Amino acid sequence: MPNISSLNTAYSGLAAQRRVLDVTAHNIANVNTKGYHVQRVDLVSAGSTTSGLFAGASKTNGVNSDALSRSYDELLAARASREDASLSSATTSSSTMAAIEQIFPEPGDTGIANQLDQFWSSWSAVATSPGSTAARTDLLAKASALSSSLNRAATDLQGVSDAAAARTSSLAIDVNAMAKQLAEVNKAITTSLTPNPDLLDHRDILLNSLAKLTGATTRPAADGLVDVYVGNRALVVGEYTEQMDGSSGTLTWTNGNQPVNAPSGEAAALAATMTDVVPRYRAALDTVASALVSGVNALHTVGYDRTSTTGRSFFDPTRTTAATITLSADVAGQPNNIAAGAPVLPGPTAPGVLDGEQARAIAKLADSVTGPNNAYKTMISGLAAETNAATSRAILQEQVAAGATRDAESVGSVNLDEEMANLVSAQRAYEANARVIKAVDDMLSFLMQSFG
Amino acid sequence: MRVTNSMMLRSTLRDLNTSLGRLQESQQRATTGKANLRMSDNPTATSAAMSTRQDLRRNEQMGKELDDAKSWLDAADSALTNGLTTLGRAREIAIAAANTGGASQGASREAYAAQIRAMRSELMSLANTKVGDRSVFAGTAAGNAYDATGAYTGDNGMVVRDVAPSLSMTVNVTGTAAFGVGGSGAGNVFDVLDRLATAIQNGDSSAMAAEQVNLVSATDTMSSATAVIGVQGERILEIANRSADDKLRLETQLSNVEDVDIVQALIESKEQETRYQASLQVAAKIIPPSLMDFLR
Repeated sequence: MPNISSLNTAYSGLAAQRRVLDVTAHNIANVNTKGYHVQRVDLVSAGSTTSGLFAGASKTNGVNSDALSRSYDELLAARASREDASLSSATTSSSTMAAIEQIFPEPGDTGIANQLDQFWSSWSAVATSPGSTAARTDLLAKASALSSSLNRAATDLQGVSDAAAARTSSLAIDVNAMAKQLAEVNKAITTSLTPNPDLLDHRDILLNSLAKLTGATTRPAADGLVDVYVGNRALVVGEYTEQMDGSSGTLTWTNGNQPVNAPSGEAAALAATMTDVVPRYRAALDTVASALVSGVNALHTVGYDRTSTTGRSFFDPTRTTAATITLSADVAGQPNNIAAGAPVLPGPTAPGVLDGEQARAIAKLADSVTGPNNAYKTMISGLAAETNAATSRAILQEQVAAGATRDAESVGSVNLDEEMANLVSAQRAYEANARVIKAVDDMLSFLMQSFG
Repeated sequence: MRVTNSMMLRSTLRDLNTSLGRLQESQQRATTGKANLRMSDNPTATSAAMSTRQDLRRNEQMGKELDDAKSWLDAADSALTNGLTTLGRAREIAIAAANTGGASQGASREAYAAQIRAMRSELMSLANTKVGDRSVFAGTAAGNAYDATGAYTGDNGMVVRDVAPSLSMTVNVTGTAAFGVGGSGAGNVFDVLDRLATAIQNGDSSAMAAEQVNLVSATDTMSSATAVIGVQGERILEIANRSADDKLRLETQLSNVEDVDIVQALIESKEQETRYQASLQVAAKIIPPSLMDFLR
């Protein structure tokens, strides 16, 4: 028996199919949107949702199309986030090492290794012709070039650290902005009756970005909220956020000035650069400089110069780091003050004016196991190996992260073929429901005509 | 597994990028001729290259010292050889003067004495031979080895050159070692010649005999100095040959570590180019089609 309620049923079908069309259109529009998860209308048969006295005997049927779900796998998304954070960290480390590597053009003809060897050669030249002012002047020039190179390398290393500090500062600003946005999205999600999938997507994008920057992890809280933790401390709790500060170069929490313990992400790599990597290489370079200064000075102070004066130092003994190494005032600009002559043993007695034995002994420092050449070679070998490892790790992590992202996207992203199929079926279903309405309308109008 | 358009796009872009990266690297290798573009490409090779470069620079420096040592030894050698010849002539004149008899004519005695004196000044100029601006027999003192009176103005310093790794060589002979110690006893060769000339002039046969004996021992001293120099000279030649061989070996070693075989690099570059083009073509084919093409 045709019933007005059949019209309602057919109408609910029409409405449902129109809803499906809307959602399909939304999906298609967002086919290339990053972080978008496919939304589906959850069609539920209306008869199954009533309860109470008339349950089972109810005549209200049709389809209910209020529920909207998004295709989201929490496990895969969390994994993708974690791997992205590690990737961010590995890439930053790798580019830091590459920056340090560029400071030392080894092996080659323009690096410190070559200048060290030229320095020793010029000592040999002075040993060969101690009476030649030209040889002595050349030695001073080579020494000067060597110390300038060491100074410059130390400055460049500090530059890498300073760049990391600057990036930390802007990173803190980004994190603060994102944390605020996240808190607002949390608030919006709780105030709406049904969770809005687009808001949820927006929140996931923010969480992913925060993870990449600081290695932040999430914990679900009540009412669909999400808490964000960096290290052990909360960045976002519901609608309340903490702030970070990076203006001093290290990342700290604004409340309490504790340093941020970022477990992963760019922040972790930047912190490692400033507190571990750069200081290590500066220390290694300082070892080279101090071996140079102490080695040369130890021999030079007991040697005799052209006026048979002894006790002169070649490098300034108070400046033994790579940043400060310089020629001492005793010899700078005064080539005749270079002590080329060795004391006559059992001395000390001044040697002949043209004796070059002390210069020869100094030239031999090139082969010394504790000398600057060896220290420098050790440093460069370490640098090459570390940079190689960082690059390999970055490449490997990139593949891992790509795999994790692919798995997450497999669940969540839009497949145009699927949407097309959905579109076609929604269209046909709509037509069918319209046909039902027409049929009921015809029957009712026949009834009206028969009795009217 | 569900595959979507964005997944395909992402993986295609990634693969194209990787391919392009490899292409760029192989082109860089072919252009620069270096197998390792950065020290981190091959840390072991970097270490080896640095050691080899250091050895090469050392070899070059020692080459310079070898040349310097050779000039010192050659100068000393020729001075002493000529000196020995001069001394030989002096001995002949001494014998001739002695044989002329104690009451020989004044004129021939004067002539002999004058010759001896001439030989003395010849020997003195040989003793003051210079290499550059250094007196070869003066040790480490500045200026000449002997002054006009025959007194030694040099010192006993040795001149040492590092001619090979862990090998140093003394390249000089002091005046006292070659020409005798002046001042005490018989004196140096100049004192001997001086007294010999005076003895001949005075016709003092006992003095002449004494000086002849001194002359013989002076000749022996000079001979042994010449022998020492000669041995050093031979060693230097051997060392110079070895040094040249070392240089060649080190340069080959460095090239093996650092350089890339140019033919291989070019082939690799071409291969990467072809691969890249193939990826581009495949990407162009798989991205466009979808169900829309078939629903009309």
